[in-house]
Amino acid sequence: MIKLEEKKASIKPIKSKLKVEVLNKQEIDGINQGARSVMQDIGIIFPSKKALNIFAEAGAEVDFETEVVKLPADLVEKHLKKAPRAYDLCGRRPELDAKLGQDKGTHYFTSGEAPKIVDFETGERRLSVKADIANMAKVANYLDIVSLIWPTVSASDKGVAAPLHGLEACFNNNEKHIQTESVMDEVSAKYAIEMASVVAGSLEALKERPLHSILLCCIQPLAQDRGGIESAMVYAEAGLPIGFMSMPTLGLTGPPYSAGSLVTAFAEVLSGVVLTQIINPGTPNFVSIIPSLLNPRTGAYFMGSSPAQITSASAVQIAHSNGLPITACMSFGGSQWKLNNWQIGIENSWVHLLTVMSGADMSFGPSGMYEAVSLLDMQRIMFDREIVQAIDIISDGIEVNEQTLALDMIKKIGHHGMYLSQKETAKQTRKLWPPSILFEPPTNSEERYRNPVDVAHETIEWILKNHKPQPLSDDVRKELRKIVDTADEDETLKKEVQGAK
Amino acid sequence: MSQEMFDKLAQAVIDGESEDAEALAKQALEQKLDPLACITNGLTVGIQKTGELFASGEYYLPELIIGADAMKAAMQILEPALLSGQEREVTGTIVIGTVEGDLHEIGKTLVGTMMTANGFRVIDLGTDIPSADFIDAVKESGANLVGASALLTTTMLQQEKLISSLKDAGLREQVKVMVGGAPVTASYAKQIGADGYAEDAISAVDLAMRLIDAPA
Ligand code: B1M
Repeated sequence: MIKLEEKKASIKPIKSKLKVEVLNKQEIDGINQGARSVMQDIGIIFPSKKALNIFAEAGAEVDFETEVVKLPADLVEKHLKKAPRAYDLCGRRPELDAKLGQDKGTHYFTSGEAPKIVDFETGERRLSVKADIANMAKVANYLDIVSLIWPTVSASDKGVAAPLHGLEACFNNNEKHIQTESVMDEVSAKYAIEMASVVAGSLEALKERPLHSILLCCIQPLAQDRGGIESAMVYAEAGLPIGFMSMPTLGLTGPPYSAGSLVTAFAEVLSGVVLTQIINPGTPNFVSIIPSLLNPRTGAYFMGSSPAQITSASAVQIAHSNGLPITACMSFGGSQWKLNNWQIGIENSWVHLLTVMSGADMSFGPSGMYEAVSLLDMQRIMFDREIVQAIDIISDGIEVNEQTLALDMIKKIGHHGMYLSQKETAKQTRKLWPPSILFEPPTNSEERYRNPVDVAHETIEWILKNHKPQPLSDDVRKELRKIVDTADEDETLKKEVQGAK
Repeated sequence: MSQEMFDKLAQAVIDGESEDAEALAKQALEQKLDPLACITNGLTVGIQKTGELFASGEYYLPELIIGADAMKAAMQILEPALLSGQEREVTGTIVIGTVEGDLHEIGKTLVGTMMTANGFRVIDLGTDIPSADFIDAVKESGANLVGASALLTTTMLQQEKLISSLKDAGLREQVKVMVGGAPVTASYAKQIGADGYAEDAISAVDLAMRLIDAPA
């Protein structure tokens, strides 16, 4: 059983002794050159006047009519160089900082913004609301396998300012680094940064220890989102970390080849990195590549498929060759599998093993998601935790030294003996048999173990009832409330979010 | 002679050969064949067969899309040549798009493709489509269905706005409105006054058929 006792939030990145390198040097060069030639010859659409002006001024070839920006290779190199490979995505306390590029291993985080949730009490599916975000933020605060979070679901009860309500619920219930993937317009971005500044103490303090960041998606193929880019530019001006994600579906929004999809994906994300580096040199950037397949009969979305995931593992090498941290190899809540089935467990197992073996800086792991990140089932996060724990053990390899070779013990026990009575065995058993939801004694004699779903449910119930994330001061909470209240009434925000065409 | 041409047109669609389909359509007009007959007995037969091959699992989505493209290529030649009063027989006409502020394209396109394969005339407006553009397209095409896709919690609100815009434009009685996308549920669809919600592309076709009382 998981030891259920109240504790301070902590994080546990996973460092793997097992390594996988999918690509050789020549293959890495091929993909990098491909991405650069796409940026230079075909270009990327940036549907934002502000971005187009910035590029033009920096020497890119900009067509203001088509909004296509062509980036010469030397311009790309010049600006990519300024992006740091190592930096911290800070939590509220230094022990909670996710240290990227500092050989700490893979930091797992909850994916998020599912529009629907399985109601924890009734088991019924419904649209998610703000209170659900608060609950899941609390659970994520408790579990050390979670290094940073996104608002895990969306506040469908809060209208167009939902992304800001999501952040408020996270800041109030979670001490780790909080990233948004839904603050996708300039106006909301300013509010979000104001909120993070309040939590940090000031904008300066926030820049010093960024406890908030943004991840935005490029629009495949070869385009950016106006709202997303304009939001990212605000984050760049504030010097906060910014991630660019590409989600090519092989044979749909990307070429039907892994290599070709990496070419388009990197052209997209690197063009975004270049923009933010022009705006504010040294901005902490990261990239994220989530390839997928689609079921060729139904169109269903398959993120966890094997071709998609080996493509993502390859992306780790490409990102690192460009000097950038990467979020990669994630089930991201799996393919479009329905609730409580074994496929999702299989997917998550090898996906997350690949994550740590490829050396991804971050990955969406313990998320509790189903149906391609569109449905949250809180208790599933305990299964994700279980998988990641197993991977932690596997990726540690085995220890070989005088103690573990155990020749003395072998001699002592000799033939036909048992090692059970040894003190060392007693000590080691704790390590060999870590906390788990899978092996609880049954409540009736017909079963070998209790149903882990029930155990997971009880664990979550306990956390929700007993865990108290360190609260923000009353003043800070009030200030956050005030900002979100103002945003709710802000007509310019409404116009921005609902499209200003 | 004409049957031979119909068969060739149908086969070009089944094989997904856009260039052949276009060339055959031009040939058909040169040979003074009736364009409507070429559509009904050639292209439509071809797309129906393609749809059957897809339904039976023989064809995958790319083949279905390539087939629909071939049909479109020939249609572009044949449709302008229809005599006045001639109209191709369609199951229904749908204006479909992803709502304003939303760039998710995949689901909407799949729904459109399935509807094409099932004999609907599909006017696919693309993504990030303001209500006004839906309205213009309905007016222009005389559509009897409107389909709005939304994938974001913040943009699903646009589906409601579209319905009230259709009312304001006096078009609400003319069209049935279908909605879909990840954050949308049947009860949300009901709440905003849509006529139906579909979870995937195949049920979207069934829903459309039901809404306009088309024979399945
Ligand atoms: C007319 O009648 C009908 C009837 C049925 C209809 C219908 C209409 N429309 C759909 N249906 C139904 O039939 C279809 C076929 O079976 C189905 O369509 P679907 O679209 O559901 O299914 C497709 C076949 C496959 N599914 C998909 O294509 C969507 C998959 C997910 C993972 C997804 C993708 C792929 C993308 N995304 Co986006 N994306 C997610 C999606 C999660 C999910 N599970 O939905 C979702 C929707 N995205 C999200 C987000 C946040 C975003 N995305 C964004 C961008 C993108 C990509 C561009 C990277 C990419 C789209 C690529 C493209 N060219 O279309 C951004 C927004 C951009 C914008 N302005 O729109 C961005 C804001 C991320 C960012 N930080 O930038 C989340 C929404 C959260 C929320 N609650 O609002 C999200 C749920 C994932 C998540 N949890 O993070 C049915 O829904």
